[in-house]
Amino acid sequence: MSRPRLAFVVLKKELTEGLRDRRALGSLLVFPLLGPVLVSLMLSTLVERATTEHPIRLPVVGAEYAPGLMRYLAAEGLTVTEAPEDPMAEVRAGRAEVVVLVDKGYAESFRAGRSAVVALIVDESRDDARPSVRRVQNTLQAYSQTVGSLRLMARGVSPELGRAVSVHEVDLSTPQSRGAVFLNFVPLFVLMAAFIGGMHLASDMTAGERERGSLEPLLLTPASARALVAGKWLAATIFAATTVILTLACTALALSRVPLHRFGMAASLAPRDLWLVLATVLPLTPLTAALELFVASFARTVKEAQIYLSLLMFAPMLPAFYLSLQTVTPGPGVAALPVIGQQVLLSAVVRGDAPSSLAFVAAATSALLLSGGAVLATARLFRSERMVYGR
Amino acid sequence: MIEANELHKRFGSVTAVEGVTFRAPDGVITGLLGPNGAGKTTVLRIVSGLVLPDRGWTAIDGIDPHREPARARSKLGSLPDARGLYGRLTARENVRYFGKLCGLDGAPLERRIDDLFELLELGPLRDRAVLGFSQGERMKVAIARAVIHDPENVILDEPTNGLDVLSTRSLRLFIRELKARGRTVVFSSHVMQEVAALCDVVVVMSAGRVVACGTTDELRARTGEGSLEDAFVALTSHVREPDLGEVTA
Repeated sequence: MSRPRLAFVVLKKELTEGLRDRRALGSLLVFPLLGPVLVSLMLSTLVERATTEHPIRLPVVGAEYAPGLMRYLAAEGLTVTEAPEDPMAEVRAGRAEVVVLVDKGYAESFRAGRSAVVALIVDESRDDARPSVRRVQNTLQAYSQTVGSLRLMARGVSPELGRAVSVHEVDLSTPQSRGAVFLNFVPLFVLMAAFIGGMHLASDMTAGERERGSLEPLLLTPASARALVAGKWLAATIFAATTVILTLACTALALSRVPLHRFGMAASLAPRDLWLVLATVLPLTPLTAALELFVASFARTVKEAQIYLSLLMFAPMLPAFYLSLQTVTPGPGVAALPVIGQQVLLSAVVRGDAPSSLAFVAAATSALLLSGGAVLATARLFRSERMVYGR
Repeated sequence: MIEANELHKRFGSVTAVEGVTFRAPDGVITGLLGPNGAGKTTVLRIVSGLVLPDRGWTAIDGIDPHREPARARSKLGSLPDARGLYGRLTARENVRYFGKLCGLDGAPLERRIDDLFELLELGPLRDRAVLGFSQGERMKVAIARAVIHDPENVILDEPTNGLDVLSTRSLRLFIRELKARGRTVVFSSHVMQEVAALCDVVVVMSAGRVVACGTTDELRARTGEGSLEDAFVALTSHVREPDLGEVTA
């Protein structure tokens, strides 16, 4: 029987066995179903919190020294409340987001035309308090500028003299690129699917066979190591690709239910984007499957293999984390870097950029070439006696 | 015919096999007898082409299993020390998979599976998942799998390990059947009675070396002992090297 036909025999057997294995099926189905649901729930609450303008209750110490400021704050929608006994402790404990301290000499300085002092007690490390703090800061700044301008005009001086440079911000972000912040999880998720989909099968077909004692009989058949490895590789690839497709479909469905439009963001993935995400990640699945087979072949037991494989999965998470803080333009050179190239392409796609088709081809070609290399390396390993002994 | 000539194999500082030579002709059951740790499994792995010897050569019907593994293995059926089955597949699917890997297919393969299952008395179990099989039933499936391509040469590494009397009996019948059809059978065991009951020629191994070779009668005559067991003890005890004690401990 020819080598491709033998590989097909192996593929068919591995798929049959994989589909009868509840745990392998679980890794195929649970990740796509559970993941996006959880994340969209999280997103939903995040958007809910960021978009609702909750009235800020602002505790002020020494409100009586600055009645004018208090009226201004109230007019800007800030509810001034009685200050607590120990404002520092309140902020530190998280019971208050920000407390204003009006200096005792405020009225005197104000009248004399000197800078009157107001202190803000905040905790910079609290992310959730940041919008409130910024709003209070802006309001105080605006009050200071308004009063300052009035004073200059009263003395016959143009307020513009005090503003040497006037900064205007031109925001070029499109609704979709603003949505990208929220969509950045999609590439990571679909990429993870490419790793997780074939993981169980890959360790079962190598370390699992060794652990259960069926590997040695398999190596004793006339079938070539390349045919055996090729069949196993195709089986793991099919599992990984199926997981990717299911994950993407589930994520798209979940995202279409998140109220991102209320945030001024077009965040639902357009059909074209879905195809681009698929065109990026699907060619990666042969590589993840081949790498997983190779790595798992070194393990004696399935458990050991799974430790190796989770390390393998986290390796590309590091550049992913770095990339989430960075915007990289995906040329063919960057795109050809395995896994990193896919991440760059994906974040460009969700940002609404259209990377060149050359970049996609470069990414797919390099992944396929590398997977071929990993398959050959695994076949070499299958031929060597360390495969029998597991070391 | 299976030949092994001056095989040597070391693992790190441990010498597993040292100058092992034997010849197993067609139509003869050759027993490889020796205590645990004598190097029997390593020798059989070298002979079947899984493990490369440091020195020496082996041949299966004249074919070097390390140079031409596919050709050599198509003439060799091997039941190794590890004999796990695919638990989620049925007995028939397990054997069919290996049949296809040996190049068989279609109706001839199915006929061969039926014949083997009949011979090994596995009939009623053939389409059940092997997960719930007993030790003896698993062994029978593993043997059917090893000889699915009806090879001229058969290697069985401790096939009776963990089997009950009935399974051992049907295994013995099966091995005699192979001999009757002119096959080469190499059979390893540490159990004297097995070897005495079955083998025409016995190769006695101890501490990685061949310490004696001949028919059971010859071995008894050589040692001057009345029973094969006494002969075995006489043959293997005096070659025990001190470093082997460390290895097995």
